[in-house]
Order: sequence, then C-alpha cells, then structure tokens
Amino acid sequence: MNGEWTPNDSASRGPLLLLLAFGILWLVVSAGLGIIASFQLHEPEFLSEYAILTYGRVSALCETAFVYGWLANAGLALALWVLGRLSGEPLRAQNWAVAGTLLWNASVAAALVGVASGDATGFEFLGLPSYVQLVMFFSYGAIAVAGLLAWSGRIRRVSFASHWYAVAALFVFPWILSVVHVMLFAAPARGVLQAIVAGWFARSAWALWLAPLSLCAAYYVVPKATGRVLPAYGYAAPGFWCLILVGGLAGGRHLVGGPVPAWIPSVAAVSCVLLLFNAFVVALNLRCAFSSKAVELRFISVGIGAYVLSAVADSLTTFRAVAERTQFTHADEAQGQVALYGAASMILFGGIYHALPLITGKAWYSARLVVAHLVLAVSGIILLVGSLCLSAFVQSRGLLDPHVQFSEIFQHARPWLLMATLARAVLLLGSTVFLANFVLTACGISEAYRPASLGPPSTLEAPGP
Amino acid sequence: MNGDPQRDPVPDQAVAADERLLEAHERALRGRGDRGDRHRPLAIGASLIALALFSGVYLERYTGHFSPLIFDENAKPLKGELVFKIDPVVLGQRYYGAECVACHRSQGEGSPGIYPPLAGSEWVNGPPGRVIRIVVYGLRGKVRVEGNDFSASTMPVYGRILNSGHNWSDRKIAAVLTYIRQEWGNKADPISEDDVAAVRKAVGNRDAMSEDELELVK
Repeated sequence: MNGEWTPNDSASRGPLLLLLAFGILWLVVSAGLGIIASFQLHEPEFLSEYAILTYGRVSALCETAFVYGWLANAGLALALWVLGRLSGEPLRAQNWAVAGTLLWNASVAAALVGVASGDATGFEFLGLPSYVQLVMFFSYGAIAVAGLLAWSGRIRRVSFASHWYAVAALFVFPWILSVVHVMLFAAPARGVLQAIVAGWFARSAWALWLAPLSLCAAYYVVPKATGRVLPAYGYAAPGFWCLILVGGLAGGRHLVGGPVPAWIPSVAAVSCVLLLFNAFVVALNLRCAFSSKAVELRFISVGIGAYVLSAVADSLTTFRAVAERTQFTHADEAQGQVALYGAASMILFGGIYHALPLITGKAWYSARLVVAHLVLAVSGIILLVGSLCLSAFVQSRGLLDPHVQFSEIFQHARPWLLMATLARAVLLLGSTVFLANFVLTACGISEAYRPASLGPPSTLEAPGP
Repeated sequence: MNGDPQRDPVPDQAVAADERLLEAHERALRGRGDRGDRHRPLAIGASLIALALFSGVYLERYTGHFSPLIFDENAKPLKGELVFKIDPVVLGQRYYGAECVACHRSQGEGSPGIYPPLAGSEWVNGPPGRVIRIVVYGLRGKVRVEGNDFSASTMPVYGRILNSGHNWSDRKIAAVLTYIRQEWGNKADPISEDDVAAVRKAVGNRDAMSEDELELVK
C-alpha cells in the first residue's frame, strides 16, 4: 500500500539523499554537543579551560547544528520529496537544489566555526554569526526553487494540505531571516526593540518554518501509510491559516515582566491560545496514525502527540501567573525539546523512514535498527523532558523564595540534570543508530534488497483498508 | 482512536497513489466522499468561536488598549492630560539634603557662631517675604537668630537672578522653604511657587540682602 514506487522517485534521488545525509550527520553532531552542554550544567568545570568548549558556545553550537543542520536539511528534503511526488513529475531544477544544499551546509559549517570562535550573536535560535546569514538566505532560496517549481508546475491543479505547509515554509524562512538580519545586524534596532525582534524570529522560526515543514511530511505520510482519507479534512485549511496568521504573534511570550508595553506579552498569550485550534485540527486530521502499526506512523504519532503537548504547554506558560514561575528555569528548555525533538524531529524521522525506501528503491538495511531507533528516541525524549521539568520545578520553588541560596537551588536540581545528561546519551545513541542505518541503506549494502514496488518490507507493514 | 469504520471515513479507493490522494481529499473538501463522517462541524466551529471570544476579552482586558506607554497589563490609558501631584515637603527634603544640609545640618541646628539654626528660628517661621529673600538673594553681614549673633559666614545666592551661583527655579526654592518651615517642630505656612515668583518680580536683580533690609519686610 505505502510502498508504491514511481520512476520520479529515483529521478530526484540525488538532491534528496544529499539533503538527508547532511541532515542526519548534523543530527549526530548536535547530539554529541548536547551531551557536553548538558554535562557542564552539573559539572561546571568540565572542559572549562577550553574557550571553544565552554557552555555558552557549546549550547549555541548544539542548537545551531540541530536547527539549521538537522531540522532544516531533513525538513527541506521531505518537503521537496512531497512536492515532487504531488506534482506528478520528476523534481525540476535539481542542480539548484544541489548547489543550494552544498552552500547551505557549507554555511552551517562556517556558522559552527564562527560560534566556536566566539562570534555567536547571543539571540535565541539565531546563534548564526551575521556573516553567514546572507549566504544562508540565498542558498535556502536556491533549494526552495526546486520545491516552488514542483508546486507551480504540478499536473493536477488541486492542492493538498502538504502543499500549503511546504510552500509556506519555503517562503517564510527567507522572509524572517532577512527581516531579522536587517533589524538586528545590518541596521540594528535600538534597545528593547532588539529583544522583541529576536523573540519574534525565534517564535516564527518554530511556528512558521519548522512546524510547517514537519506538518507537510505528516499530512502526506499519514494518509499514504494508512490508506485512508484524512478525517475532518475540511478543517485542515482553517487550521493551516490559524497557524500562519497568528503563529508569529507569540514572539513576546518570553518578555513577561520585561520592559515592553503590556500588549506585547498579552498578544503573545492570545496567539498561543488560538494556536490550540491548529493543534486540535492537526490531531483530528492525523489521528489515524495513532492506531496504525506501521513503524513510521509510530514515530509520527509520537510527533503529533508532542505537537499537541507543546501547544498546550505554550499556551499555559504564556500567562503571567504561570510565566512568573516557569521563566528562567529549565521549563523553557523542556518546552523547546518537546517542540523541536518531540514534535518536529519525530515527525521527520517517520517521514524519512517512509520516504527513503521509495527514494532509494531499497528497503531499510535493518528493520531492527529502525525499532531500536524508535525505542531510543522515544525513551530519550521522555527522559529528557521529564528530568528538565523536574529540575524546573525545583528551580522555580527555590528562585521564588528569597531565603534560598542560589547554590542550594543548584544542589537540588543537580540529580535531575544528571538524568538529563543520561537522556542526551540515549538520544545520541539513537541518532547514531539512525545514521548507521541510513548510511548502510543509502550505500546499497542492503542484503535484504527488494524493489519497493513489490510491496512494503516487513517493518513497514501497513494495515489494509 | 479510529479503527471503528463507522466513525472514520473510508475512501472509495485507496489513497495509495498520489492522484488518488489528491482526488479523494479534493472530494472531501467539497463535502463528498466523506462517507460516515460523524464529526460535528458545530462542535469544531464552536471551539473556534470560543477561542476567538476568549481572545477578544483577553485583549480588551490586558493590553492597555495597545498603548505603547502602558507597561502594566492591568492598567488602562488615561484620558486627558496627565497631572502629577508632587508633595513639596518630599521634594524640598531632597533639595535640602543635597545642598542646605552642609551648613544648616541635618536637624536644622546649624553650627554655633558660624551657621544660624533653622529649627525654631524666628526668621524661618516669620513672614514669608523674609525667608524668600534670604534664599533668592542671599544674606551678607551680621544676623541675630534665637538671641545669638552670626556674622562669620554668608548665605549664598540661590534664586534665578543675575550672577546667581545656583540658579534654582522658583518651584525648587518654594519646596525647600516649605520643607524647612514644616520640619523639626516648625509650624509655619507653606510657601508656593507663585510667592517666590512674586518676590523675584517685585525686587528684580540685586545683590545680597542685609539684616536691616530684611527687617523692613513685613
């Protein structure tokens, strides 16, 4: 059912495999850096004599590699693949996509070198030194050309939910990056406005860029793998517009109590609450994934669950009464992990597990490694988010009590931070397993070779209609 | 969650092929092909309306009507001109602490033989015209306060007049005078900005006052 292979898949194999390879490589790099950063939270002296490996730089490196390395590459690969398949033709402008991919990843590497040598900008989600931002703008545009041509040149003029999310993501990133480049670096806004612009960028990068990239994959893979029309599909369009119109307005949610006009955090709160509608529609549309036994849908259903959880957590912590307790604790980090790892990455994992056999024409090298990755990724993310939440609880109680010393708070949070490091190690193991399976599959060393057109391999069993 | 074929729509044809996927969902959008769909559109529409209502109420209540000057989410923008009411005693205390305290001391006791006291002084508690003149124009020569003679020092010129060392505004002088006339047991009437301005206008620019000139002022 899901394994229907078309000649177009192999025709567009090159750029897609290149994007995926870079993405998964950065995922492993980021997981390794994540362990160092997490370790330094409970052993502050660890590697502190090397400037390159101090906490501030390592955590910025980890975030940059994850967002601009892993999520961007993998998300773009799946978006191009979905747009190409829905267009009914081989991907066009492939040389643009390849050139863009090479340039994009060269600039990610340059950004990492820049951050390591102390050029990080200090803004959340935007550790990128200003000198790579223009290159990233143009290389993203080059990759997007292939996707936009596939969209505008589609044979059937109808559009599907995946189209909307993919095209939105292709247009949004150059927009937000150019705005933030002008307003923070080329002609920097002064004072408080900087924090507002940086908050808007961080929020938009998630709500308008990374979330749509992963929802594009989810909206395509779920009906393909279950063989069912999405239930309540009529609400998909209002759900999409809800995300696009109000998603970026929540930029001020971290400015509660800050020196900004009161309406900025209040609008952020309203935006987060309205986004519950989007999460609700996504869960309603894609709920067939929850009852499926296909392994890619296991990943995606975890991702959808995390997406809803992240929307609920965002709308709770955006209110002032709650924000007073969660601000400046690890709750923020936990929320970020729920969104970026729990939601976006899990959906992209599922999408890649679905897409790669079709792109390569071969089954995954090892079905066991797929299951191993599922177990490691799910347990790792639950452990990570759980321990960060417990640490946040300890911190929040201590920080609000003027009689508690700061060092005491650290001592109490330490066991949970140790657990977070353990979780990071589990995630690194999972990512390495994923990389190994990907490399073995892509290099064609697969012993279990069978053309995907003959039917799905055993791990990708789809339920009959 | 699904599984029950009665509740979830099953397409006529599988959506395995991409054209079928597009077709089936296009049909679903147009309200056909969603056989067995039991979702209540009203419930979903109502949830959206509820969220929109909440947003409207929240924005009305907690945004300060989008004023760029409101930083407290519970505040509302003020209508009309903003009027600040300042307690002259508090203001005067601040200026006294910055300047006068150096000679007249923190309790207004002065220094015996050098700087006259303010606490209980007949000059401070006397006619407003006298103290206003002392501060605006300064005082030179001998002065008798509470039965003691002081002649070792000079009261500097504070008023906004020609060759003034301090150039204090009338409001500042009125605040300081009000403060010293109501502090340390003094119980004289407050002095307003207009009182100071009137004296300054009547007398004009001149050099420091002497005790004899001041005693003519009633």
